[in-house]
Amino acid sequence: MSQSQGAPASPTQSRNKKSLLVSDPPKFDLESYLANYKGRTRLERLILIGTCSSFLGVDALKLAVKEAKKGKDVKRYLEAQSHLETIGPQEREATRDRAWMDTTEKQNQAETQRLEAELKGYKNNLIKESIRMGNEDLGNHYQAIGDLPRAFDSFSRMRQDVSMSKHIIDISKHIIEVAIEQKNWVAVSSNVQKIKGVMGPPEEDPTLQPYLCATDGLALMDIGEYYNAALRFLETEAGMGTSSNTIVSPNDIAVYGGLCALATMERNELHTQVLENSNFRTYLELEPHIRRAITFFVNSRYSACLGILEAYRTDYWLDIHLQKHIDDLYHLVRSKSIVQYFIPFSCVTLDSLNAAFMPAGKTIDKELAMMIQRKDLEARIDTQNRLLTSVPSTPRSALQANTLETAKEYEREARRRIQQMNIVAADLEIKGGKRALAGIDDMFDDGRQLRSMKPQDQARNPHHIGGFQ
Amino acid sequence: MDNLLPNLLSFPPHPPPPNPMSDHAYDSGIRDQIDYVKKLSDSKLLQQTSGGENVLDVINPALNTVPYTFILLANLSALNKNAKGIDMEKIWGKSITFLGTFDPRQMRYLGDQLSSIIDAVASIAMSKRQPWAAIAPIRDALLRLDPTGSMLTTTHLALVKLALDTRTYSPIVPVIEKFILYFPGTSNQPKPKYICDMNLNPTQFITPASGLTQKFKYQEVLEYFLYSGMVFIGLNKWELALQCLENAVTYPAKEGSVSKIMAEAYKKWVLVGLLHEGRLLSLPRSTSSNAAKQYHTLAKPYETLAQIFESGTASRLKAEADQGVTVWRNDCNTGLVLHVLAAYQQFQIRNLANIYSKISIPEIVSQTMSAETGSKLQSPQAGEALVQGMINRGELHATMSSSPGHPSIVTFAVGGPVLTEADMQRVLGAATERIHTLTKEIKQTDRMLTHDKDYIKFIQKQKKNAKQGGLVDQGISGADMNMDWGDAVEDEDIMSNLY
Repeated sequence: MSQSQGAPASPTQSRNKKSLLVSDPPKFDLESYLANYKGRTRLERLILIGTCSSFLGVDALKLAVKEAKKGKDVKRYLEAQSHLETIGPQEREATRDRAWMDTTEKQNQAETQRLEAELKGYKNNLIKESIRMGNEDLGNHYQAIGDLPRAFDSFSRMRQDVSMSKHIIDISKHIIEVAIEQKNWVAVSSNVQKIKGVMGPPEEDPTLQPYLCATDGLALMDIGEYYNAALRFLETEAGMGTSSNTIVSPNDIAVYGGLCALATMERNELHTQVLENSNFRTYLELEPHIRRAITFFVNSRYSACLGILEAYRTDYWLDIHLQKHIDDLYHLVRSKSIVQYFIPFSCVTLDSLNAAFMPAGKTIDKELAMMIQRKDLEARIDTQNRLLTSVPSTPRSALQANTLETAKEYEREARRRIQQMNIVAADLEIKGGKRALAGIDDMFDDGRQLRSMKPQDQARNPHHIGGFQ
Repeated sequence: MDNLLPNLLSFPPHPPPPNPMSDHAYDSGIRDQIDYVKKLSDSKLLQQTSGGENVLDVINPALNTVPYTFILLANLSALNKNAKGIDMEKIWGKSITFLGTFDPRQMRYLGDQLSSIIDAVASIAMSKRQPWAAIAPIRDALLRLDPTGSMLTTTHLALVKLALDTRTYSPIVPVIEKFILYFPGTSNQPKPKYICDMNLNPTQFITPASGLTQKFKYQEVLEYFLYSGMVFIGLNKWELALQCLENAVTYPAKEGSVSKIMAEAYKKWVLVGLLHEGRLLSLPRSTSSNAAKQYHTLAKPYETLAQIFESGTASRLKAEADQGVTVWRNDCNTGLVLHVLAAYQQFQIRNLANIYSKISIPEIVSQTMSAETGSKLQSPQAGEALVQGMINRGELHATMSSSPGHPSIVTFAVGGPVLTEADMQRVLGAATERIHTLTKEIKQTDRMLTHDKDYIKFIQKQKKNAKQGGLVDQGISGADMNMDWGDAVEDEDIMSNLY
């Protein structure tokens, strides 16, 4: 589902798309996982798990079909049902319930008409508050039946009739919710800013700050700004509870924040900003393995840290927001671990690196070469003695080389400036816009023919030896 | 002839007086002598001595350049008329010796005559079907006249054309490797008092009026830059070629005009940049923005090729090069493109030096591709030969060791060549020296600009304004130029003081 959004931005992602089917059992329990969420995101998550996990697929899709039938979204129902039909045709839920579909669709249409008529009435009466509420109802309805673009429009129209700052917050929250489902992250961040502009002191609504951090963090994570995303998640104040559960759960904050931080922050930063962060601690307690992974990293036990992350890779592949990024994030953590591992040494055998970072039987050579090429790692590989050696730093000769380069650059630039001034002084610069390119220089074309001519021809063509005649 | 000789040899006095002549005395002396010799008819100049010797054998061209010049010219014109008793080979030999030995101080007064002799030498060489033979003597003459080589003359251009025509590249390197700073035609300059003053800048004695050069058109200046770039390309001297082409690429242009020659130079510049640095170079800062825009549209295929060279694969590079065959051919750049293809694998190997410290030849072969064939090298031997060649040419700082029964191993030197402390001192010293010389040129240019008639008029006007109660311009900064002249001269916003 989420994979269909946009083209994959990197080769790793396209590979991910192909092997989207995850066969390993995840660590979470489906029922309790689902209990963390409310609203349409439940269905979306179930369908994602259903289509991506061969282990939970049937169970998830069965739940999804049931969930869908509780609601009014016929398209979503069809999506879940048709997937289930392909992977588990023997299930009772796999058969298409045409009767339910027909009645629901009819009801939906009737409801749409009713709400639109009501809204029209309000508009005729010019009662601002009623128009606003009419739009809100219509938006909610469109959202429920899965017509997201119209829901987005309806919610946006509410803005014309706001009368207090709480309304603005409400509108933005609605839009954020729809936009997240649409993966329209630009709208998410702009609405987060809008809320920030009008929100009052935190005592008014203690759940608002965590909500904003979470949504803004998601938007940043999605465009790949992991460091800023990490900062945003880490700022999240305690006490989110279930207030944002139509989008994310507190557990997700811990996972997203922890992983983004692990991928982008230095060891000191991890220590002060993550482990000693009293707000974030309440979230980390929900996901103790993330906390353990970070602690291992800070204590330089990289293979243990990577081991934990690897164990949870399946879970994160099945997360609606992480799926696209988990490979990138893991890759960053890995590269950082290798760099950190190598720092205290001047020379490491490739075998010890293999032992620390690679599963048995695989070698790290290619990865190291890539990292050196991208300048992530300042080292050289010796394929003959199977060593990774650090590059000795030579500040003196580096400075000297730098000086020479600067001198050369100055010389070149100065000479060219003198040259240009003198060209202008000799009245030789090219003038007149009209003749640009049109005035092809005859002499020059003569000169060009010369290149292809043989010397003996030129003897017969003394005309070409310009100045000497 | 014998009775003429004492008069002909009267200047400069021999042996030289204990106190060198003043510039004034020298100037009037040589002018008198030139007037005297000019009045003599050719037939008188062609007379032999009483001993039956040719006068050209008697007079030393290095000392008595003035009479020698006129006698040589008389001989040359006689040769043209096919007068008898004139041996072409002899005159040829004499002319060449003359061009290599004349006294540059005297020659400043004989511009027209020198140009005629140079033309004659070129045409004799042509009639001998050996046009290239004229190159070395003309080059020597140019360098004798102006050892700094920073002044462009029409002879320069003719010389480069001749070298390209005859494909004789290396002899003219000493001339074209000099960075051109000055151009004839600078008007509004005060005339020097005596052109025999040895401290003069070449701009002051090499002028169209002196006959040592003619006036230029901008196309010709651009041609000179492009052609000297092409000569360096022919010699595979990429860095110098880049410099010459860059002169054309950054040529100042007003009102958004661009010459086609500039665009041609840019195309070659892109390719040479690939050969020299392995990437698409960014345009020098002083390029005019309109020219840059035009380049990007006109040289699109070249830029695409460069981008693929930088980040694409060997097969794509080859495909692109094949695709553009007609483009390269029409621009006469096929040879350069072939060079680029050949260089691709070498740059890949050089990049390996940034990743590996030690690697075997078979690994190199499997990790790099040749853009000439679009595939990997056929055998480890071919790879070994390639790497060996690169090491020999100094393009790769590495050593190769082989042991029987095992593949050869290449060890890259980390951080490139390391200069010894003494070498470094010398290189730094040389750079300092060059910058000091450059500072002199900067002063010279500043002097020229401040002595420009228009500028002086402007200053006078300002002074007048200042007297009426305004600010005094403190712009003339010729005396105390500092190193950041660029700001000092250019930011001196002369307009701001206008009111």
